[in-house]
Amino acid sequence: MNSKLNRKAWLFIIPSVVLIAVFVFYPMIQAFFTSLQSGMANNLEFAGLANYKRLFNDSTFKKALFNTILYLVIQVPIMIILALVISSMLNDKKLKGRGLFRTAIFLPCVTSLVAYSIIFKSLFANDGFINAVLMNLNIISQPITWIADKFYARVLIIIAITWRWTGYNMVFYLSGMQGIDDSIYEAAAIDGATGFQKFKSITLPLLKPIILFTTINSTIGTLQLFDEVYNITSGKGGPANATITISHYIYNLLFRYQPNFGYAAAVSYVIVILIMILSFIQMKVGDDKE
Amino acid sequence: MSKRSKIVRAFEYLFLSIVAFISVFPFFWMIIAATNKSVDVTRGAMLPGTYLIENVKALMSSSLNYFNAFKNSLIIAVVTTALAMVISSAAGYAFEIYKTKVKTTIFNIILLSMMIPFAALIVPLFRMFTKFKNVPILSFFSLDTQGSVIIIAVATAFLIFFFRQNTKTFPKELVEAARIDGLGEFRIFTKIYMPTMKSTYAAAIVVTFMSSWNNYMWPLIALQSDSNRTLQLIIAAMGASYTPDYGMIMVAVVIATIPSALIFFLMQKQFVAGMTGSVKG
Amino acid sequence: MKKKVLAALLAATMVFGLAACGNNSSNETTADTTAAASAETSADTSAPTDETTAAADGETITIWAWDESFNIVAANRAKEIYQAENPGVNVEVVTMAQDDIVTKLNTSLSSGSYDGLPDIVLIEDYRIQGYLTSYGDEFADLSSIVSADDFASYKTGVTQKDGVMYGVPFDSGVAATFYRTDLIEEAGYTQADMEDMTWEKYIEIGKAVKEKTGKNMLTLDPSDIGQIRMMLQSAGAWYTDADGNVTLADNQALKDAITIYKSMVEADIATQISGWDPFVGAFNNGDVASVITGCWIASSVKNAEDQSGNWAVAAFPKMEANSSSVNASSIGGAGWYVLKNVGHEATAVDFLGKTFASSTDLMNQLAADINLVSTLTAAESVENYSVGDEFFGGQEVFNDFAAWTQEVPTVNYSLHTYAIESIVAEAVQAIVDGADMDETLADYQAQAEAAVAQ
Repeated sequence: MNSKLNRKAWLFIIPSVVLIAVFVFYPMIQAFFTSLQSGMANNLEFAGLANYKRLFNDSTFKKALFNTILYLVIQVPIMIILALVISSMLNDKKLKGRGLFRTAIFLPCVTSLVAYSIIFKSLFANDGFINAVLMNLNIISQPITWIADKFYARVLIIIAITWRWTGYNMVFYLSGMQGIDDSIYEAAAIDGATGFQKFKSITLPLLKPIILFTTINSTIGTLQLFDEVYNITSGKGGPANATITISHYIYNLLFRYQPNFGYAAAVSYVIVILIMILSFIQMKVGDDKE
Repeated sequence: MSKRSKIVRAFEYLFLSIVAFISVFPFFWMIIAATNKSVDVTRGAMLPGTYLIENVKALMSSSLNYFNAFKNSLIIAVVTTALAMVISSAAGYAFEIYKTKVKTTIFNIILLSMMIPFAALIVPLFRMFTKFKNVPILSFFSLDTQGSVIIIAVATAFLIFFFRQNTKTFPKELVEAARIDGLGEFRIFTKIYMPTMKSTYAAAIVVTFMSSWNNYMWPLIALQSDSNRTLQLIIAAMGASYTPDYGMIMVAVVIATIPSALIFFLMQKQFVAGMTGSVKG
Repeated sequence: MKKKVLAALLAATMVFGLAACGNNSSNETTADTTAAASAETSADTSAPTDETTAAADGETITIWAWDESFNIVAANRAKEIYQAENPGVNVEVVTMAQDDIVTKLNTSLSSGSYDGLPDIVLIEDYRIQGYLTSYGDEFADLSSIVSADDFASYKTGVTQKDGVMYGVPFDSGVAATFYRTDLIEEAGYTQADMEDMTWEKYIEIGKAVKEKTGKNMLTLDPSDIGQIRMMLQSAGAWYTDADGNVTLADNQALKDAITIYKSMVEADIATQISGWDPFVGAFNNGDVASVITGCWIASSVKNAEDQSGNWAVAAFPKMEANSSSVNASSIGGAGWYVLKNVGHEATAVDFLGKTFASSTDLMNQLAADINLVSTLTAAESVENYSVGDEFFGGQEVFNDFAAWTQEVPTVNYSLHTYAIESIVAEAVQAIVDGADMDETLADYQAQAEAAVAQ
């Protein structure tokens, strides 16, 4: 590429780079230095790697790490597959009511956090709607204490997140599918391909960049999960820290307990490292060879 | 249609209907709750009540200035989205179209910025912003201005990543053809790329607007005067009470949902519009 | 191309101009308050603090509190009373979620930034020692308007540091046993049985209630071990000892409390819930026969109008196994504090002095308006306290609350209540699930110590 074009190209990029450098990287680096310090509020003293060492013995941190990875491993694949299937169905021009379905499935994303946590807490209460339905269908004989039970609380969180974000990913896939020419599908149909085969051999490969985007995005989102858990468990990450995520723990360290900015920063960097590793793996596996 | 595809088709309708119902149900419940008394809401009322007017009145007379907050959120969301569509998309476009090793490295570094949880940046960011007050241009973005909320969200790795990925399916021949026709680079971006990528922009507009509208943490910290507070902060204040008035809160929430839903509604045709002017054959 | 770039820049500037326009009002108020602040501080340094000359005309003081139906109402009533005497002072009362107040205080105070901070802020008793330790210089000395004798001793213990009073105690979190008289009677017990009882007796009654009526006696929330907190305080103990060191492993009161907690779970008299609404819903819906928590739950209990006349209030149960335990405890409760560097210290102090620190009229009115049980000793005998409450069968609940408030043992909550409690909640769950008490507590003692070591 000639150098004139290259210079112009930089003009496109510079504003973003400057903004991100100032508003993300600068504080990020500051946070790193803070992670090497320890103390209450402003009484920070240099502590080297003490914060990182402390992580190893912190049972709450370990719980948070476990929960976060659990959500990641279970929830993200379910949601991605669900969203792919849904958008594939909705991409078919012969299906009626597509607009309605699209709007309905996207609606959870626009629900405000406060609203949806109130709603979910109410629906999944001991005497809530879900238990009532399950009991009526004789699937269970005793109401499940969704929110107060170690296992079911986690199930509830996974349901909540999937409910909320599937539509979001559906939007990306739908918009990405617009780049796939209909004629390709038609040619495959003439060759006798079934819906599933078309999906597997045409849609998936051509959507690869978008799928990669959504898996990385969802991975990052889930590893940083905070809002849903915070609101549904009324800020407690309960029962007894059974659902708490790393971000929630960071929030507690910063604002709920006596603020220890240094330790909170150290915990944050653990997430950064985790995300880096996972994203790197995903990129290597999924990104097109240039 | 063959019998087999009829069955498949029927299954598709059933599946989508169930998913749609599950997605919409809580919403539907929310609207019903907005018509009920608070006590009935906590008791799980399923039928519409007669309390809608009272709830709306309670909202309007609440000491929390709901409609002002609505206006604040709207301004912030619109400006953020508009700016982001220019700044972030330009970067995503350039990283792909003008790809070089250096640029790819910079792109990968930018991706890093998505990986730090925002909570960790709050305190350093806050301290940075406290210094803006006294610097001439920067005072537009100092704490307690809408600028401080907007500027953070205008260039995000998320959007840049999104546009870059989508640009991979953009036919680069169009760029070449346009250059031969004598168009300048910026013109190519606005006159060729943007119209072709309508579907991508539509998706980006929806998610950026929504994300700005629902944003909580940074507005909480950056905005200070009562008159600047955004909608989510007000709704949270309503909900954090020993005896929250759920009827009123639900009205507040239903109204709060409208803008995002509206934007989605307006943009959704674009998701499925298909690329215009693609090179065929 | 250059033209395009210029055009874009121009457009961006215009947009920002528009956005900035919308902020003129906030810029103005900042200018206002800074002007008032400088006028104020010069008045401060020239004369000794004198209540009557403090307020400057046109000055605005800001108050932050949470809960529109309780604390905010109180602040607004206080504002009315104060403005009647000082019409020139503007008082702005802002409702914010408590968590948000904590977030903003921590962020701003740790950054030394005072813009947008309030002059008066409501802070929960469990948190205040932490603030006083981390940001001691930010809080105003309120000795001129408050002395330890004016309030219930367990409250003033909390608002002091090094013998200096920093806060005006506000609401009483005195704990009580709210119970359904009809269900108790159905189970074969009388109201007399509920007076001055022990936890062991409570459990016994609970089993009978479950057997005869099918209802559980109370709710338990695995993430919120308020019951344990209350039991500790009733024995004059806490998660920390008098010196502020974590004490879990050798804490007899804690062990007694956990034993009782575990018995309640094992006796199957408790409904497991999580969160505020199911908690309130349980007794509003008649699913549980009693609720033992702070007196502030009274308004929520009274929400279920159809249960009027079927409730009564008895003293907090004591732990039979623990000789230090008395029939009184507290949970929650907050105080009003002044941030002195925000610029209006003298006026803010004057405001508090004339309202929450002394006005029995205010306390009387608030008793009627929001069911406030004040901790102001002088307010012990205001007339609204002697009104019998029909909901509670005519019982003069306020008199009872006020009396019990005076008996609450004083405890130093120290700095890390929430951090330690989060860890203790895990320990309690483990013990309830069958782990050995001494071993688990020793384990978690180490955890807690690591968590608070800074």
